[in-house]
Parts: sequence; C-alpha cells; structure tokens
Amino acid sequence: MVEAFAVASGKGGTGKTTSTLALGMALAESHDVTVVDADTGMANLLFHAGLSEAETTLHDVLSGDATVEESCYERFGMTVVPCGTSLDGFRDADPARLREVVAELAADTDVILLDSAAALSSRSAILPVVLADRVVVVLQPTIPSLSDGIKVQEYASSYGTGVAGLVFNKVRDDDAIGRIAEKSERYFDGPTLATVPASEAAREARRAGRPLLAHAPDSDAAAAFEDAAAAIDVRDGGSEAVADRFRSAVIPDPP
Amino acid sequence: MNLPDGRLLKSRVVSDPRYPLAEALDRNLTGYAVLEPQETLLLEGEGRGVVTFRDGVPDLTYATGTERGGPAALGDLAMPGPYHVELYELPDDAFDALDDAAAFRVPPGMPAERLAGDPALAASTRRAAPDARVDAGTGSGAASDGDSDGAESRAPEDRSAVEAFLDDEEKIEAIREQARREAEARAEEWGFD
Repeated sequence: MVEAFAVASGKGGTGKTTSTLALGMALAESHDVTVVDADTGMANLLFHAGLSEAETTLHDVLSGDATVEESCYERFGMTVVPCGTSLDGFRDADPARLREVVAELAADTDVILLDSAAALSSRSAILPVVLADRVVVVLQPTIPSLSDGIKVQEYASSYGTGVAGLVFNKVRDDDAIGRIAEKSERYFDGPTLATVPASEAAREARRAGRPLLAHAPDSDAAAAFEDAAAAIDVRDGGSEAVADRFRSAVIPDPP
Repeated sequence: MNLPDGRLLKSRVVSDPRYPLAEALDRNLTGYAVLEPQETLLLEGEGRGVVTFRDGVPDLTYATGTERGGPAALGDLAMPGPYHVELYELPDDAFDALDDAAAFRVPPGMPAERLAGDPALAASTRRAAPDARVDAGTGSGAASDGDSDGAESRAPEDRSAVEAFLDDEEKIEAIREQARREAEARAEEWGFD
C-alpha cells in the first residue's frame, strides 16, 4: 500500500465520480489502483463503471453479508468496489466498517481512491476524508463550489488529512480560470493539479457506463485528468503500517 | 432599497439557500426573501440579504451589510449556512414604485447559480422568466441571461464576483474558522476513534 486519497468536493455536481475514475485509470498506468465508492448514501460510481448489475457491493460488505473480496471487480485496469443504491442497503450498512474495508484493501493495492459524498453533513459522508491520507478537492470556478471546497480542506486538516491538490472541473474557456486558480491556491495546501474543460464527452461516457478515459481517451478532458494524475506525487509507505493505521484510525488532537 | 412590508409566508432555518429560490419558483411568488446567514458578522454587522421575486423569478438583490446590490450582493451573501430565511408575499404592483431598481437587478438564473450552486434550478428559473428578462439581463447587456446551462457564468460580472470572493480574505478566513469548529464538534459527536 502506498497511499489512500479521498476525492471530495463538499458539493454535488462537480464531477467527483468522473474525476475519481479518471484519476484511477490514469494512476493505474503506473500503480495498482483500487477505487471505492464511499458515497454510501448516494452511490453512483457503479453507473459510471458499467457495474449497475453488480450482485455484491460495498453495502453488502458494510452490513456484514459479504467479504471485501466479493465486492471487488476488475474493470478498466483497476479494482473497483461499487456501492449499491438501495435505501435498505444504506440502512443496514455500518459506515464504521469502512475503516476495516479500507484496511483490508490497503494490504493488496498501491493507491486507494475513495469517491466521497457530496456533503459534510453526516458521519458516513465525512468518514472517507477522515480515513484518507490526502484529499483531492474537485472544484468548479464558482463561489458555492469554492466555498465548499475550502470547507472540505478545513475538515481534512482538522482530521490530520492532507491535500494532494485541486482539480478544477467543468471549466469553460472564459472562466478566467488562470486567475481563479492562482487566487484559490492561496487558501489550499495543495497545488492545482489540472483544469479540466467542460466536456460533452464526460456526459456521453456516463451515459455509456464507461469511465471518461475509456470512453473518450483522446478528449481534452481526458488529457487534463492524465495531467492531474501525473501531478500527484504518490507517496511511498509500508503496507502494514498503513493497514494498521486504518484499523486504529483516530482523530488527532484539535489543532 | 426600500421595499413595502409583505405578508410573511414562511420563516425557517435552512442549511442551503436553494430553499427560498426553489420555493419562490414553485409558488410563482411575487414578493421577497430575506436571508440571514448564521455568520452575520461576515457581512460586516447587520448582515442580511434580500432577493425579490416577480412571478417566482428573482429580480433584485441587496446585501444590507455591504450595502451593495445586484450581482455583487450575491457574492456578499454566498457563505456557509445555515441561513434564517423569511419569505414574504407582495401585491403584483408592489415593485412598480421602485424607480432605482436597475442597480439591484440580477439575471434570473444568477441567484441559483451563485447562492445555491444549482445549475438545474438556474435553468428552470430562466425557463420561467419572461423573454424580456432573459434578453435584458442587468440592463447593461453585459450580464445577460441565456438559455444554455450556466450561460451566466460567462458574464464579466460573474468572473469578477468569483475573483472578488477569493480576494476577500476576511470572509474566507471566517468560512475556514466555522468549518474548523464544525469539524471538531462533529469529531466529538460521531466519535471517530
């Protein structure tokens, strides 16, 4: 195990799941990558990864009805752990078990990407940010998105989680993104990894149930995500030490 | 901006400023919403914002703390909730007497984009707006509304609003401070151990 990242935004609609799978596929070119849909209340990664018919999901694992291994699917060069979408599944799932799931996965993979909830309003929504080594903050160049991204960073740093960097997603030509990114970086502890142009390809990929990098690898958006992944300096860490840390994850002392 | 007193329809605390915008659109409201963010100190004292509606579509905005109107007021009001929101109804002709309204006007979808960050609500609002409003924008033409998703973001005012937000170090520090307090309180509440 090398490192676990939470892909988070604090706000819906920024393209977190598209980003998670795109970063996962790009990182999978050089690492063994596992992607987990940790948005247990509003899962949608399964739809992006062609796994809507998956029989066993993270919900089954979190409710104690399946092993972690049974919820793993090899797709697009990555290991994908989808989450179910039923209310019953969510009700029966014990979010606290996510820690054990991540610890178990950590033993056999280099990079874990946790697709996180679009909110900071519940225990299960915050847990991925608590468990990860670092967060990748997915932003749009709008005031609500930047405001929520700043909140995510503060939550992360309060829990001892670092910031790997920022991905500005769904960027239009005239968003003055250069100035906005530069000003934003003053408030974040990580660099801008990439600015990803708004792209019809991302919507088409979602409809096709395939990650963007599989569906439209030559698109500008895919190239930007490749750049983002290349800009993440994945840190080396001992598997056992990381697994142990997840098993005993604690909240650090308040700063 | 002097508004006549309206008839109070709703008064509640909400986590998201989307609520009054969606509620006004659903009700086809002619009237106004008063928003008071929990962190009113961020608005330099008396920090309330007003958004007026005609037939459910946002028309004018004003922030009492900064005494700014129009798109700039939306930037002043974009901050973490919860918000205390009051929704008032006015007679259809109530706005006719406001002769200085142009400076406070916003494109129909802009409050949903800026305050709620909800492109879908912004698009619904634009569809509900009279053509003249969508075409006219703020009156200067520079921030005119469009039908396409997020068209308002292309207006120069919008760019400067995002940049102005990022230049407001005091407001951002207050957002960070509030988030840190929440994070610590929740760590205790949910026992991340």
